[in-house]
Amino acid sequence: MTDIRGKTAIVGVGQTPYFKRGTSEHPALKLCLEAIVEASEDAGLDPKDIDGFVSYASENSDAQKLMAGLGTREVRFASLTWIHGGGIPGALSIAAAAIMTGQAEVVAVYRSMAESFGQRLRVDVAQNDTAAQYLVNGIESPTQILALRAQRLMQHHGVPRSALRAVSQASYYHARNNARAVGRQIELDDETYDNSRMIADPYRLFDCSRENDGACAVLVVSAERAKHLRQKPAYILAAPMGTPGGGGALEENWRPYYATAGQVELANRMWASSGYGPKDVDVAQIYMNNNSMGIGAMIDHGFCTFENAGEFLTLENLTAPSGKLPINTSGGDLAEGFIHGMGLLAEATRQIRGDSTNQVPGAKLSLMTGGPGDTMSSTGLLGAEETL
Amino acid sequence: MEYSFEAHKIIGGIGADDEYWRSLENNEFRLPQCAKCGKWTWPAHFRCGDCGSWDFNWVKLEPEGNIFSWTRSWYAFDRVRERTEDIPYITVLTEIPEADNARILGVLKGDDTGIQIGLPVRGSIEPPSEKTKFYPSITWEIIR
Repeated sequence: MTDIRGKTAIVGVGQTPYFKRGTSEHPALKLCLEAIVEASEDAGLDPKDIDGFVSYASENSDAQKLMAGLGTREVRFASLTWIHGGGIPGALSIAAAAIMTGQAEVVAVYRSMAESFGQRLRVDVAQNDTAAQYLVNGIESPTQILALRAQRLMQHHGVPRSALRAVSQASYYHARNNARAVGRQIELDDETYDNSRMIADPYRLFDCSRENDGACAVLVVSAERAKHLRQKPAYILAAPMGTPGGGGALEENWRPYYATAGQVELANRMWASSGYGPKDVDVAQIYMNNNSMGIGAMIDHGFCTFENAGEFLTLENLTAPSGKLPINTSGGDLAEGFIHGMGLLAEATRQIRGDSTNQVPGAKLSLMTGGPGDTMSSTGLLGAEETL
Repeated sequence: MEYSFEAHKIIGGIGADDEYWRSLENNEFRLPQCAKCGKWTWPAHFRCGDCGSWDFNWVKLEPEGNIFSWTRSWYAFDRVRERTEDIPYITVLTEIPEADNARILGVLKGDDTGIQIGLPVRGSIEPPSEKTKFYPSITWEIIR
């Protein structure tokens, strides 16, 4: 048996601007083409060379529609990863497997959205698959569902409000240096955070992710090929996907544990197969549909515990360049913008290359966690050549 | 009898809980227990993953339990706009001790003062209405 560790790398990144949701002049397919073409140019590859396509969730810009615009010679591999934002790092795993088994050579991993030509993300991603138990009882949005988990995290497990505020503030602090960030003008001081409007207890506005039109793509090739391309490769060390027993689509009946991200088993598998642990990580892009779920992800990954979360999760510890665990260095889902979390993968790659606008000096191990609390999720670790 | 929820069927989730809604429309609260090994499976499923049985008994229970979690919604979310005039409203996730702590969602009614995790609640069965998308429902009330 062979492992994906270091066998493939991200070699190209492409990203359109983030538009306010519902304002893109172009449909998602055009934005998607722009991102994939930009990723190709970034890598020094011809878009015609892309023969694999992997996305996740409710993506509609499928290979079949893209190929005429890309000049695709032949689609040799295509796959969609279950099921929402939990799918992102897992999509890398699928891309790596396709390349290692000779099914494809250049795989685009991407996501595109344009609500001006569609519907609200929270409706779109539900894929008409929201159980009656929720809708009958006034619950429809991920924010409301995750609010139930946040109450447990805070009231039962004792994670303080200051921790939620700190992760939001770290995101907005980083956004200020990022010209792409939609939230870069917002100075999220304590007063602004504390006075923001309630959405669903305990969440206030600044506890929630954004929602934007835009597209983002990365290109994955074999480690061998990556060495001869334009950019410093970000090697894929591990990107496991899955759901623990006792979890799944259980309408708030997760049993093994409830208030965090459902990522304990994923993280353990990632640490085991990569050979690294939480202490080794230089920088982390933590998916935040809502901030408390990102805290849950950090707890599940072993960066902190219920007991010391309040002490560990401070603005100082969470910000680049010298915090103990700089997170969401582009501003992330809360402050940069939200194309269903895909921007996090671009930023995780930039940190390995050394060209983030909030660079962690010498970053060699760069983590991206997938959608926390999703019924199926994934997590991924990228590394510089020295980490192989 | 023709059931309201069947005429307004919501497609989504596992889809094995018709008997739950049917029971509520009959003014009864029932949850599924494996006919062979006795394991409670919630949300309802088609097969007991523990023993492999395909048969469940829908056991009549008292709608009583404890608050496992709750949220108060302050915004008219897209697919639950029927509740706009009730904002802010509270939805409670209640553990049912009699059914191995299966967790059942329901809107809170009555006095919400001092609501917190762990408080005991009692459920009332409500007939189908526009607010509940023409499904029957349970509303929870804090036992004081």
